[in-house]
Amino acid sequence: MNFIPHTKEHISKMLSVVGCSTLDELVSEFKPRLSELNLDEPLSEMDLVSYMTSISEKNSPMKYFAGGGSYDHYIPAVINHLVSRGEFLTSYTPYQPEASQGVLQVLYEFQSFICLLTGMDVSNASLYDGASALAEAALLSSAHTKRKGIFVDDGLNPNYLKVLQTYCDGTELSITNSIDENTACVISQTPDFFGNIKNPQGLIEKAHQNKALFINCISDATSLAIIKTPGEFGADIVVGEGQSFGIPKSFGGPYLGYIAVKEFLTKKLPGRIVGMTTDEKGNEGFVLTLQAREQFIRRERATSNITTNQTLLALTATIYLALLGKSGLQNVARASYHRAHILQEKLKKNSFELINTNPFYNEFLVKSPKPTEKIIADLMECNILGGIDLGDNKLLISCTEKNSLQDIDSYISMVST
Amino acid sequence: MKLIFNYNQANTKYTAQEKDVDLPDELKRESLPLCNVNEVQIIRHYTELSRKNYGIDTNFYPLGSCTMKYNPRVNEDIAKLPGFANIHPHTPASHAQGALEVIWELEEILKEITGMDAFSLQPAAGSQSELLGVMIAKKYFAEKNEPRTKIIIPDSAHGTNPATAAMCKFQTVTIPTDKRGNMDIDEFKKAIGKDVAVVMITNPNTLGLYEENLSEIKNIAKENGALMYCDGANMNALLGISKPADQGFDMMHLNLHKTFSTPHGGGGPGGGSLGVKSFLEDYLPVPRIKKENGKFIFDSKNEKTIGKLHSFYGNFGIIVRALAYIKSWGINIEKISKIAVLNANYLLCLLKEDFDVPYDRRCAHEFVISAKKFGEKSTINIAKRIIDYGFHAPTIYFPLIVKEALMIEPTETESKETLDEYAKVLKTIIKELKEEPELVKNAPYTTPGRLDEVKAARQLNLRWIPKES
Repeated sequence: MNFIPHTKEHISKMLSVVGCSTLDELVSEFKPRLSELNLDEPLSEMDLVSYMTSISEKNSPMKYFAGGGSYDHYIPAVINHLVSRGEFLTSYTPYQPEASQGVLQVLYEFQSFICLLTGMDVSNASLYDGASALAEAALLSSAHTKRKGIFVDDGLNPNYLKVLQTYCDGTELSITNSIDENTACVISQTPDFFGNIKNPQGLIEKAHQNKALFINCISDATSLAIIKTPGEFGADIVVGEGQSFGIPKSFGGPYLGYIAVKEFLTKKLPGRIVGMTTDEKGNEGFVLTLQAREQFIRRERATSNITTNQTLLALTATIYLALLGKSGLQNVARASYHRAHILQEKLKKNSFELINTNPFYNEFLVKSPKPTEKIIADLMECNILGGIDLGDNKLLISCTEKNSLQDIDSYISMVST
Repeated sequence: MKLIFNYNQANTKYTAQEKDVDLPDELKRESLPLCNVNEVQIIRHYTELSRKNYGIDTNFYPLGSCTMKYNPRVNEDIAKLPGFANIHPHTPASHAQGALEVIWELEEILKEITGMDAFSLQPAAGSQSELLGVMIAKKYFAEKNEPRTKIIIPDSAHGTNPATAAMCKFQTVTIPTDKRGNMDIDEFKKAIGKDVAVVMITNPNTLGLYEENLSEIKNIAKENGALMYCDGANMNALLGISKPADQGFDMMHLNLHKTFSTPHGGGGPGGGSLGVKSFLEDYLPVPRIKKENGKFIFDSKNEKTIGKLHSFYGNFGIIVRALAYIKSWGINIEKISKIAVLNANYLLCLLKEDFDVPYDRRCAHEFVISAKKFGEKSTINIAKRIIDYGFHAPTIYFPLIVKEALMIEPTETESKETLDEYAKVLKTIIKELKEEPELVKNAPYTTPGRLDEVKAARQLNLRWIPKES
């Protein structure tokens, strides 16, 4: 394929303006490679599509009863059409706001949606994913409190814990077992990795008594439609994964990290923030703001090193939330909740041991009467991913509005003895 | 200007009506103040917003250091194939062989292009790749019991380099740029020592110039036991021509969204990657993807690993697009860089007479010129006026070491005609600056007027608030 518009005549004309006789001469200053370049012959578009399609067909999309940080919600058709518009797709960070009002307004709307959903005061314009959003929140807490201890409540997504641990090792913070005068933040996930909906009140009080910040992490973002907001509970920072809002599962990425804070932490936020302002004539418009926090101005004194964010996915989430509105998002959350509870009840009747003691959202843990490897393999025969095998015959199962009652019945028929 | 929250319509229904849930009051949400807009209006609202936005599809967009090349649409279609877009990340490897193959295959190709021995595609963007590199350096020296505290970075570097070093509690030592636009080798010699962990070099650097003293820098760094890190943000100049590992780099990152043409999406998602020499391979994040007996597997056994960076395995959808892009070029990949360099040098030659050129050398894939002779703030004025002529502005006021800088990266996908037109527009604006300076100072006229950034920062308005609260 060829996306270079020059003819041979163009190239020779341009070379003569530059004062070179060949393209090789033009790059002669670059140190040449010392070994061969072993790449294949170029593929035409038709051959490329056929090659990549054949690889894609080695994957088996299924009916998913698995969550664990990625949820199989329905994506309204219109989203792809809007997100594919070249003006959004092929633009970049809005450094020239006058030529980027579209993306800037979208990000302002995104920030507004995140605040409405979480009950917080200020959101940034997105971070990479749920795990790195949590790590950035921990760094923010340390910068704010000048402390280095990170306390993590039980039930945090183990992948997030690993990423947090990696960031802590690299930035000289430590994950501790107690909440005390060295604690920068207390992290708790609700709904947690096992789906438990927890009341964070006690932990929030304990964090605040010790002058530490409370970070509320959220598993499936659709839960925000029916669960009391972290803002109302008194969280200082809310982070999570926005993939549930119209973003394909895509084997784990690109996803959408979000972070929202109480007003007193605004200037400590990492990443891009969009603000409304006016032009010289008083017309409203949008710009990137509080840029003095950021690496391209502040360099080693920046609040974070983050540059590129996930704007196109923030656009996706914004359109998703606009389309669904209040009742649509409630229906998605309620359906996810009900289907999970129906499946759990049926599994109980089939000798599965229920482990959740708290109320749960759309995800729950069971102990299986037979080896989970066998259950997963059997279900896969019927094109169902039955959950996440956590070892010790424990299975983490998740439902969304896409898991129909018939799907639940086929699930049960495969696992019943 | 109407926000999505300002409508009052009946929503379109996408899923069935459901009864309420049975949660205790203390856990239950009371009100959900979302907007009510019908799909028809949503299409109009966001289509209208898209029209207020410049993109590569609508306008030449020569943002320096961002590599705004054409994004082939076939790669979008490929990333949306059900076998890629619909795969859940917790799918066992046995049923996700294609996904693992894509990651493995791109790692192999990047090794070939850079000369590095191993790659990780977990980083979500360039800055997270740097973070990974610096974390690896920190762990590597900690295990060797070498208390190295400094990272050397030239003053022309992207702000992410020092920001990343500081995140990992390293002290940054900034080296000035010499008269030819290279990192000043004498100052470098003064700064290097056994306390330096990493020498971070962007090559070609952000002035669009190939570092001329690389082999000397490498020798001195190695004598002092420091690691050489290459910020590969500008790899679009070197594809198929140079392999950075040959110049002695121990680690390097590539921004998949720049060099390998995945859409920048208004600011992301991007895709990162980190390549290392074999002695650092064990530090790469887990899970790694390995090929054993013709099957692809996840491997998390490594004890030395620095851990994990991403919720899952990286920005997979971007990895798919990058692989498709490279496959479409194959062995001809060097043509990308050669034409990118030709386009930059050609446009530089067209503009040389009109602007100050801080370093009078042949450039790589981009170049930096200065508008300082037209007075203070002339760069911002020129940038705004360019918009009126239907082009996007270059990157401005960066690198910080060039006064009134305009940093222009045309990329290989722009035609001679477009470059000629851009040069013509810049010359016209300079003429306007001389003859009708107010015209330029008050631009743009074809879009909203200049927005008050001071007001935005002082009177923060960062979200829409419902009236009743």
